[in-house]
Amino acid sequence: MRKNLEFLKKHKAFTVFALLAIALALVAIFAPYIAPYDPYEAILTDALQAPSSTHWFGTDKLGRDLFSRVIYGSRISLSSALILVACIFVVGSVLGILAGYFGGWVDAVIMRIADMMISFPGMVLAIAIAGILGASITNAVIAITAVSWTKYARLARSLVLKIKNCDYIAAARVTGSTTPHILYTYLFPNVMPTLMVTAFTDIGSMMLELAGLSFLGFGAQAPQAEWGLMLSEGRSYMQAAPWMMLYPGLAILVTVVIFNLLGDSLRDVLDPRDE
Amino acid sequence: MKKLKKALAAVLAAAMVMSVSPVTSMAAFDDTLNFGCYVYSTSFDPAAYQNAAWQGVRWGITECLFKFNDDMSVEPLLCDTYEVSDDKMTWTFHIREGVQFSNGDACDAQAVADSLNRLFYVCANSDDYSSTPAGYIDMASIEADTDANTVTIVTNTAVADLTATLCFPFYSIIDVYGDTTDAEHEGGYATSVIATGPYALSSFDATTKSGTMVANEYYWKEEVPYGTVNVTFIEDDSTKAMSLMSGLIDLTENVTTSSDLATLEASDAYYVSQSSSLRSGFAYINMDGILGNDTLRQAIRMAIDSTTMCEITVGGMYTAGVGILPSSLIYEDEDLDNPYAYDLEAAVALLDEAGIVDTDGDGVRELDGENINLNYITYNNRCLSDFAAAIQSTLSQYLGIGVSVNSTDSDTEWMLMQSGEYDLCDSNWTTVGTGDPTAFLLNWYGGTDGSNFYSTENPDGTNYCNYDSDEFDALYEQFIASTDTDERNALVVEMEQVLVNDCAVLLHGYYNSTMISNASKVTGAEIATFDYYWLSTDIKPAE
Repeated sequence: MRKNLEFLKKHKAFTVFALLAIALALVAIFAPYIAPYDPYEAILTDALQAPSSTHWFGTDKLGRDLFSRVIYGSRISLSSALILVACIFVVGSVLGILAGYFGGWVDAVIMRIADMMISFPGMVLAIAIAGILGASITNAVIAITAVSWTKYARLARSLVLKIKNCDYIAAARVTGSTTPHILYTYLFPNVMPTLMVTAFTDIGSMMLELAGLSFLGFGAQAPQAEWGLMLSEGRSYMQAAPWMMLYPGLAILVTVVIFNLLGDSLRDVLDPRDE
Repeated sequence: MKKLKKALAAVLAAAMVMSVSPVTSMAAFDDTLNFGCYVYSTSFDPAAYQNAAWQGVRWGITECLFKFNDDMSVEPLLCDTYEVSDDKMTWTFHIREGVQFSNGDACDAQAVADSLNRLFYVCANSDDYSSTPAGYIDMASIEADTDANTVTIVTNTAVADLTATLCFPFYSIIDVYGDTTDAEHEGGYATSVIATGPYALSSFDATTKSGTMVANEYYWKEEVPYGTVNVTFIEDDSTKAMSLMSGLIDLTENVTTSSDLATLEASDAYYVSQSSSLRSGFAYINMDGILGNDTLRQAIRMAIDSTTMCEITVGGMYTAGVGILPSSLIYEDEDLDNPYAYDLEAAVALLDEAGIVDTDGDGVRELDGENINLNYITYNNRCLSDFAAAIQSTLSQYLGIGVSVNSTDSDTEWMLMQSGEYDLCDSNWTTVGTGDPTAFLLNWYGGTDGSNFYSTENPDGTNYCNYDSDEFDALYEQFIASTDTDERNALVVEMEQVLVNDCAVLLHGYYNSTMISNASKVTGAEIATFDYYWLSTDIKPAE
């Protein structure tokens, strides 16, 4: 316990941002208790009301309470961003480790596919994939996964190439360790910290990409309370009802900043030069 | 603060307009009008397709023999007098003396007959032309008498009023022998036309859909107020409003975002002309799907508060009503009775009594053992997607009916509608484009032999919603056979009532068109009831 406290004291930035990230997660989990209204309850006669003591963030064009929608929006935006990062992390890391360790045709096939994906502008390809699959938040996650796993694959491959010829790997082979055992026991733990830092840093940018797809109509669909979609719905009312864009925009900004700084501070924590 | 707002609007508008298209010359001379609008076509040839025909008239390039006034009366334009035979099948039109095309050639009887004959010929014989002039006029012959300067049109069936039909942009008159070649188009500028309107096209970029027009120096009616008109394609409504506020354009049409329109209306710097148009916004109901159930349709109709949606959700861009035709038209729609007026409690009771209830407690009612989840297709045009969102919320929140809204583009929506993959399908129609609703009401006419139901085997059918009513069909046939105006008008009201009684269509409201101008630069910019009239000589520089 004292060790943990010392660690937290030593890494103040990481502690602060981790707490903020946890707070965000709690907002998402306890949204039904925080939101004063049903985020989907439309009262048409209450449309476009300015922020007030009744509706803290005002109402949207269908008379729905924006504060409640922003709070509930954290559920979709956070969970989909985390799932997305988990997907690209797992897919990219596994393929990268396999490519790096086995080399030869396995490496050639995996990396040429990765090169193919990289040769297209990521967002454009994601829009194309989401357009073909149909607009939904699930398909948006699939689309961005399809174009973003390459980063992890290339990173994992380069890390594996660096250590696969080390003496302790050779020793493991000589002593009869099986390939799965070597992969799991020696390679995986060695590449994990770098990949983890990358994953944490990516949460913010992935959230932005998902919000971008929703804004363009390829992600979450009405009436879902999703920040990107809410921004898009508020775009036409930018002059007359700016709160429709302001609060979902702020929510995205705050969340992305927290996760970006959390990633940065985690990198500092895991940086061996700091030791 | 005002200055800051204006500066912000200018920067935003400039950025957005630049992103839409390279702006044509925007020099603000007194005799230059900068018009920002939606551009629906890259052609101006009335034979090419409907939007091309409309665009020629909208931009003030082409004119017809007659013109509609706002009260639906017909005013002579290129024709000054006409005679009609007793059987209403032979119509003789005298062409106004002294009319010239913009290239100086005479627009006489022979030129008019050649233009109309070419229209019917190419549309019937070439796949490159998809306008449907024969759909409104069952033509037998068109002949010119050059001595009398008259054109005689003979039809195969009696026509109640051919002059009204000839107002439709399909029948605009162009110089079929005119030379449309220029330095950039040596083989001829295929999409352009030479016509008699106040303005003549001098350049048009099909990529940016923007162009420049110059005054027609041979214009027959009066002096043309602007030497140059720059027309810039602006797709987004907010961009139209911001471009106007920043001074990038002087005139725009149909800003459909209610908040932007309210901002413009609130300022003395802009003049907003708003008028009931001929357009109705509505959703087709697919009778072959789950909405074939009468009780379900009735309950949905009763659950939807069209008045609130028209006045608040779309900020007055539509006016609520009962019949499918706009109440501003000549049909006596106060005679219409609505047995399914807005009554939420009654709608819920109706479903409960019919046993359409939620038995598994998931919040969605079931019909025949399956959750009711309507497939609602819409597209982002004239606030239709706002109606879809409001209906979706209303039905799921108050009635326990699931609605999946698929917001797509108009072409995809049309294909989905043709393939029957919908329960509700949004649309916005010009109801009386030729002066009566003959074409519009075909949407619900099945035909005694079922010949008008659309299918892949019957692509000429125009009934896409599978509504089948013997009563409606009989009234429609009576309507098209009649040449008596009073009888026809009464029949239209009867047909409207049948549609209301059967809940055959989900009416949103009647669309209100707008034309907005910079009050210090432009005067006379009024929106016409018939929205294929935009630019005219009434629009002049402000003194």
